[in-house]
Amino acid sequence: MNRYLPLSILALAILAFATLMLVIAPGIQIDARNVPEGLRNYTQAEQNGRDVYVAMGCVYCHSQQPRSPDQAPDGERGWGRPSVASDYAFDAPHQLGTMRTGPDLLNVGARLPSEGWHLTHLYQPRAIFDWSIMPAYPFLFERKDRAAPSDTVVTLPPAYAPESGVIVARRDALDLVAYLRALDRTYPSPTDALRDDGYASGPAAEDPNASEGDS
Amino acid sequence: MFGRKSKSDHPRPDENFEPYEEFSGIPMPVYWIAIALAAWGAFMLYDTGKDVTLAQDERVEERAVQISADQGEGGNLFVANCSTCHQPDGEGLRGAVPPLAGSEVLAAGPEIVARILLRGIDGPIRVGGDDFDGHMPSFASALNDDEISRIASYVTLTFGETDAKLDPKRVADLRHEVGDAGSFAGGAELATIVTSMPPQPPHPAPTAADAMTATVQDLVFAGRDDVWACASCHGDLGQGGENTPRLAGQPAKYLTKQLNDFRDGTRDNESMQIVAAGLSDAETAALGAYFATLRATSNASPNLSADLARGERLALQGDWSLGVPACFTCHGSSGFGVAPDFPALAAQHAPYTASQLAAWAGGGRQNSPLGLMSQISQALSSQDRRAVADYLASLPPVPAGRTASAQEGTSNAE
Amino acid sequence: MPVTLGLLLALSFVVSLLALAFLIWAIANRQITIDQHDAETVFEAGEVRGDAGEEAHPHRFDPVQAGIDQISARPVLVLIAAATFWLVAGSVFGLIASLKLHWPDWLDFAAPLTFGRMRTLHLNLVIYGWLSQAGVASVMWIIPRIFHTPSRRPQLIIWGALLWNIGVTLGAVAIARGWTDGEEWLEIPWQVDIFLAAGGACFIAPLIQTTRARQVHHIYVSGWYFLAAILWFPVLFVVANLPLYGGAQEATINWWFAHNVLGLWLTPLGVGAAYYFIPKIIGKPIYSYAVSLLGFWGLALFYSQVGIHHLIGGPVPTWLVTLSVVHSVMMFIPVIAVAINQHVTVAMNLWALRESIPLRFISFGAVMYTLASFQGSIEALRSVNTITHFTQYTVGHAHLGAYAFVSLVMFGAIYQILPRATGRVFPWPGLLKLHFWLVVIGFAIYFLALSIGGVLQGLAMLDATRPFRDSVEVVLPYLQARSVGGTLMTLGHLVFALNLLGLAFMTRDESASTVAAE
Repeated sequence: MNRYLPLSILALAILAFATLMLVIAPGIQIDARNVPEGLRNYTQAEQNGRDVYVAMGCVYCHSQQPRSPDQAPDGERGWGRPSVASDYAFDAPHQLGTMRTGPDLLNVGARLPSEGWHLTHLYQPRAIFDWSIMPAYPFLFERKDRAAPSDTVVTLPPAYAPESGVIVARRDALDLVAYLRALDRTYPSPTDALRDDGYASGPAAEDPNASEGDS
Repeated sequence: MFGRKSKSDHPRPDENFEPYEEFSGIPMPVYWIAIALAAWGAFMLYDTGKDVTLAQDERVEERAVQISADQGEGGNLFVANCSTCHQPDGEGLRGAVPPLAGSEVLAAGPEIVARILLRGIDGPIRVGGDDFDGHMPSFASALNDDEISRIASYVTLTFGETDAKLDPKRVADLRHEVGDAGSFAGGAELATIVTSMPPQPPHPAPTAADAMTATVQDLVFAGRDDVWACASCHGDLGQGGENTPRLAGQPAKYLTKQLNDFRDGTRDNESMQIVAAGLSDAETAALGAYFATLRATSNASPNLSADLARGERLALQGDWSLGVPACFTCHGSSGFGVAPDFPALAAQHAPYTASQLAAWAGGGRQNSPLGLMSQISQALSSQDRRAVADYLASLPPVPAGRTASAQEGTSNAE
Repeated sequence: MPVTLGLLLALSFVVSLLALAFLIWAIANRQITIDQHDAETVFEAGEVRGDAGEEAHPHRFDPVQAGIDQISARPVLVLIAAATFWLVAGSVFGLIASLKLHWPDWLDFAAPLTFGRMRTLHLNLVIYGWLSQAGVASVMWIIPRIFHTPSRRPQLIIWGALLWNIGVTLGAVAIARGWTDGEEWLEIPWQVDIFLAAGGACFIAPLIQTTRARQVHHIYVSGWYFLAAILWFPVLFVVANLPLYGGAQEATINWWFAHNVLGLWLTPLGVGAAYYFIPKIIGKPIYSYAVSLLGFWGLALFYSQVGIHHLIGGPVPTWLVTLSVVHSVMMFIPVIAVAINQHVTVAMNLWALRESIPLRFISFGAVMYTLASFQGSIEALRSVNTITHFTQYTVGHAHLGAYAFVSLVMFGAIYQILPRATGRVFPWPGLLKLHFWLVVIGFAIYFLALSIGGVLQGLAMLDATRPFRDSVEVVLPYLQARSVGGTLMTLGHLVFALNLLGLAFMTRDESASTVAAE
């Protein structure tokens, strides 16, 4: 090749074509879907909590995209039904994630709705799971000698409780928990749902005795 | 040359040499690889088309199951949902289940019937001059608006001789209105909206209050310094969610045993072990008794996309080729549990049931009587575990009083 | 609905295939083409005759005499210095993040030190601070040389570097303080991205000007990659950073961008640099022009559409995922092409590996490109992806591409460029070898640990009868091993920085150093 202009035009045309296929076409297709019945927008506190989730980088260990039972046992772990594009209608920035150093969280509000549990777990995950490698977030809490009536005191096993006084949650911690509790996509998936169905196995193809979970 | 020096025989490359390309052709294998990949790609595309259709059909079907869109007449729905107790002829069971035929309630029209279907009844009720211990489950989650309207219309037409039709939209309104009201407190509450009913026996104080000591109330709703409140995860009514189990209506002794097992480390669950660690025997017994009295409408759904027909077969008949007995032989004819050892399975959340079956299969849970569940679970494939869990989640929950009346006492022999 | 989109999907694949077939046909028929449309063809008349044209193109050029290197040197040195700084900073953050995965209670007292921010800082600093700047430095060095003309507007490049580094610094501060756009690879807030975009524009304008003023007719293969990359990256960067999207659609844009940063930015920089330095150092030509063409256009056609393989099994349309899977596997073609051209040249001249430490880095990197791409193609298969997705395996793969390939090529390129740009020599040549072995051994530990650990983690997660806990515990020892590997790599980077400092500040002692280099 010896000419710059054709080279650049062709290179850009290929990228434009890729953009059309990977960005514009799916964008149009996803936009055409309605907000599913059962999904509501986040409240102010939940949205603040979501911002804390984003700022802390939770997404680098926690996905928010349960897979289909044809592919993986996400449903059996309580992570919820396979998610579809319209489940994320109110999510910006998206937090789908690509790592599961920790469990999927798209339905954590349905399986773990306890504010107290989440506060304990955020303050010190190893107070509950001694094998956990999740960071602790002590800076979202403060120690007080005595809790004010409006304070939310964190429930802690004796080994992790402060020597004196109590641990109370700051606003960010409470909002973050509000967001986690709002993560609940257990309503039925819409019939026009859009997701990767590449693992679908028909009833005919299914051999009930051959499965990855068989022992 | 900077920083590079050759000691070998090779001619040292010249700093002024300019990279360029020779004119060799493309090696033949590259062509073959390209053609093979192209063919593979084309096949993948074809295959994906099939997958999408398949999954889309499955979703539509699942949605239909979740909403139980029975396309039959109200009669079929009646046979499937009501006739076990109320009998196909609507005569009920003397001394146990009130008759529908000639009932004053039906005379009040289909809307009342729909309200009862949505809420269920928990408490004594007098129908046709006879007193019954009313224990009807709520069908709010098991049936959709359309089905409730059709059953209500069918029942009033057949047994109440009123041909008023109920509109599904009206059922939706009722559903909204009823909200979380819970079961009718026996005939006494029903009589407040059905004026034609005869005088009703008084409704005893809610059974929950009997088991509700101050300690239990604290544990359930407030927690303690070092443990969380039961209700914070399992819900105010013990209804649970996903893999947090429904506790409402479980046999008291079963619940107590599980709490003791968590405390002793016989059953493994980090959060529950922390909770149980601080409980005394008296407290675990009281908590078991308390949750046994609770009633909550089902909030479970068959959400594991499994084969419901297979699940039903396993639950009702088992699969002798696998050596798996029917679930209901031990857990009761409707999966409502058999005190003291066999928990209720009906309306249990599918992820919970499936995860427990998986835990038994993998050895993570080993506390079932005689190791029965370990054997059964190991015989089930992953699809079977999901299928049976999905089917059980689709059932109506333990009706009011079903195990509360069979209260096996608060002593615990574990 | 599925019918029309299925058609669209098929269409896209057919377009790519047709383009590829046309390319191969064009190459096979170049003689005919030349005769018929001599003026319009992309092939140069002289080239067709191959070596026969040797007299007309002696393939010799003295960039020093032509005054080219002197002009490029300043901007290149500025870019390399900044890149090295960010490399060291980025590696330290990466190491902290790695250690935090098995020492979770270490450094947990302040939000900027939490894992989620350390990891983000690591990624952004090594991508935008280190790899991009090191890559641009080699572009700025190579383009004037292959075009036989001095770089235009070198001052503007320095201003660009300044803006770029302001952008990276502000981005790092923003991320540490929790101000982020919240998507992987796009964390730097879009307001700060404006600096990067402006800096990038200051790189592109001089390059295009230099290209237009070139003194050679034929554009050497490195030039194709570089010229395409500097056009692709701005498009990607601007489109992906527009704050317009949300939900699942945003996820497709996110991964379209994130993978194309690798495929259409870092990869062309690395491949282009390898294409220049390998024959340059060895003193032998590249095996085949036709294969180069196949490699370049194959990369453009296929790599641009692979991004959605990061969302396999996710909430995006099936056809989109399949499209990316198929194109990921088609990447075998351009990768094999590049492998033929580069590895054959090195394999026939193994003596040069002993001679030249820069070549050692570069050809090791080139081999890693082949491996990373093969691994990537296989990893994109649905069956394999089910196991490896969401696990540490992916992290290992990302480092095989971004580190073992691009970073190592850049180390080699910088070691090759610096003596020529400064007229000085490295005072401690032994440390160059130490650097090589530290990063190679460190990376081997890193990669093997995460690959094995990741597969075990994935298998544990797929087995419903094993609790989630198993997937955490099974990977833990491998995370510890990864920290060991990461420590060696970080040490290697400190040695690298030391070498550069030595070159800058030690007095020249040529005889001692050249002897020690062997």
